[in-house]
Amino acid sequence: MRILLVEDSPRLLRNIATALRRSGYAVDTAADGEEGLWLAESHEYDAIVLDIMLPKRDGLDVLRTLRSRGRKVHILLLTARDTVADRVTGLQAGADDYLVKPFALDELLARVQALCRRAYGAKQPRVVIADLEIDASARTVTRAGRPVGLTARELQLLEYLARRRGEVVSRTDIEAHIYDGQIDPMSNVVDSAVCSLRKKIAVSDSAAPLIHTRRGLGYVLEATP
Amino acid sequence: MKSLRRQLTRELSAVLAVLFGVSLLGLYLVMYQKLTRSFDVALEARALGVTALAEQQNGQVEVDFSEKIMRGFSAGKARNYFELRGTNGTVVARSLSLKENALPRPPGGAAEKAAYWDFKLPNGRPGRAVGFLFKPKPADDRPESATVMAELVVAVDRDELDETLGWLLAAVAGCGGLLLGAVFFVVPRVLRRGLAPLERLGAQAATIDAGSLAARFPAADLPVELQIIAGRLNDLLARLEASFERERRYSADLAHELRTPLAELRSLAECALKWPEARDPETDRDTLVIALQMEALVTRLLTLARGERSRLAAQCAPVELAPLVAGVWRPFAKRAAERGLRVDLTVAPATPMADPVLLRSILANLFDNAVDYTPTGGEIAVTGSAEGKLRVANSVAADFAPEDMARIFDRFWRKEAARTGREHVGLGLNLARAFAVAMGWELTARLENGRLAFMLGVAEK
Repeated sequence: MRILLVEDSPRLLRNIATALRRSGYAVDTAADGEEGLWLAESHEYDAIVLDIMLPKRDGLDVLRTLRSRGRKVHILLLTARDTVADRVTGLQAGADDYLVKPFALDELLARVQALCRRAYGAKQPRVVIADLEIDASARTVTRAGRPVGLTARELQLLEYLARRRGEVVSRTDIEAHIYDGQIDPMSNVVDSAVCSLRKKIAVSDSAAPLIHTRRGLGYVLEATP
Repeated sequence: MKSLRRQLTRELSAVLAVLFGVSLLGLYLVMYQKLTRSFDVALEARALGVTALAEQQNGQVEVDFSEKIMRGFSAGKARNYFELRGTNGTVVARSLSLKENALPRPPGGAAEKAAYWDFKLPNGRPGRAVGFLFKPKPADDRPESATVMAELVVAVDRDELDETLGWLLAAVAGCGGLLLGAVFFVVPRVLRRGLAPLERLGAQAATIDAGSLAARFPAADLPVELQIIAGRLNDLLARLEASFERERRYSADLAHELRTPLAELRSLAECALKWPEARDPETDRDTLVIALQMEALVTRLLTLARGERSRLAAQCAPVELAPLVAGVWRPFAKRAAERGLRVDLTVAPATPMADPVLLRSILANLFDNAVDYTPTGGEIAVTGSAEGKLRVANSVAADFAPEDMARIFDRFWRKEAARTGREHVGLGLNLARAFAVAMGWELTARLENGRLAFMLGVAEK
């Protein structure tokens, strides 16, 4: 899942970005409203974490501009303003969620996760495909009841494929949503990651393959080929 | 609940009812007097007719009644009566209508001046009488022969008078009733209509609360008397709105200034606990920087709070301005040079009364802002007059607007809404002005030709 983080406090920006990356998200950062707006319009993000008081262009202005241009990306407003009027203004401007500083990091991560889930029309944190069960809240994966050990990024990749189950997911989509967009277009990092994931979820010889390759198109996660 | 309209309705109705009542009563009494007087005049004329027939001869009173005169006092009609007595009280003549009865003597005794009184006639009906003494004319027409007086009482039935007075009383009472009804019908409606703008004003005022301070009373639609009130209320609302807005802004700014470093600290700590392997020396340096910033913020807020409670005790003494300004500027000179700023320090010798510690703080704040906010390659000019007035002017960014001047001394105000540079928390100018006031100086600011100028000097009384 790819997140855009727009925050003017460099320390907060660094800490939140670190926390999101360590949770497996691909994170782009911006320190002012104009850069944030440019990034939000240039890439497909699964969620945006947006501060309100920003240099050059404030967060509410960025939010309104995105909504007026038809961008439906889920946006969480992150701000020190905590009055009911401020919350109402933010939500009426088109925000999907509102978090007041200071906040618990786990709460921010949970809210971002919920927003990403909503981006794919899902409300349940659990996804079950055949005997594969992914619990995004608990950050656990089991196959036929046996736990599968995945890195944060592998877990994000599996969840992304699972949220789009039955769809052909292109390498470009995976690069855009799981990686920071910083990877070399000629590299085979996506193929390697998918290969590694396949091996890890194939917990036994009898386990049916779930990730199928559509040559020249991408990958599909589905019980049947 | 006390209602102005109900009270006015009650009082106005009562006053009008009393006024109408008194007026009608007065009218009735005047008419009563007038009609009674006319009746009395007619009665007196009748009595004078009788006196014209009386004569005296040799001390004896005689009466020669003509048939025409006596017809008015006949027994059949029994409505008019007279009785003529001599001075010794003996009856000389009386009307046939009296038969065997007698008329009463005047209540206060007989006198030449006519007396009128009411009494019951011999036939039992109410009557009115006139009585007086007169001197019958002498039979020989010689005035000296008239030596005796006679007493005449003439009475008439007052039926007609009473009937007229009764009709008059009924008419007055009827008019009174109608007027009273009209008062109770018209007054409430007139008052309701007249007081409608006041009620509208009250209803609108009742809807105003802290959340609707932007509302204003439509003064143009109101009567002149209420326009003044509405105007004053609108002024008050405007001041309240500005005050609430300032307070809201202050709270939001204060929340931002405190919550952001707290959020930074918390996220630092949580990251370090969650991913201990990611902890590096940078984390501790960040923690220290945040703590120092919060300490500076709290120190300034406390100083401001003391200033508000007038606990900033300035110790004023003559201060050599030029060396003080040069000394305060020295630490900023290097930063100004690094930013390529042109600096002009021209301070004439002057020794105004000031607290050197507070004055240094004010100047340090102004210089700090000037060095940080003057665009690269801009100019800073510090001038001091022989009267001890200082002026610190610096170029500002093109987006610095005249309306910013209204907020420049507000707490936490910075041109940029976001707090990118953590060195400035937006309290310095507010604090500088509090210091200036504490030592009897004043600090003002204005924008002139793309330059922000601060004027500092002893306050003019």
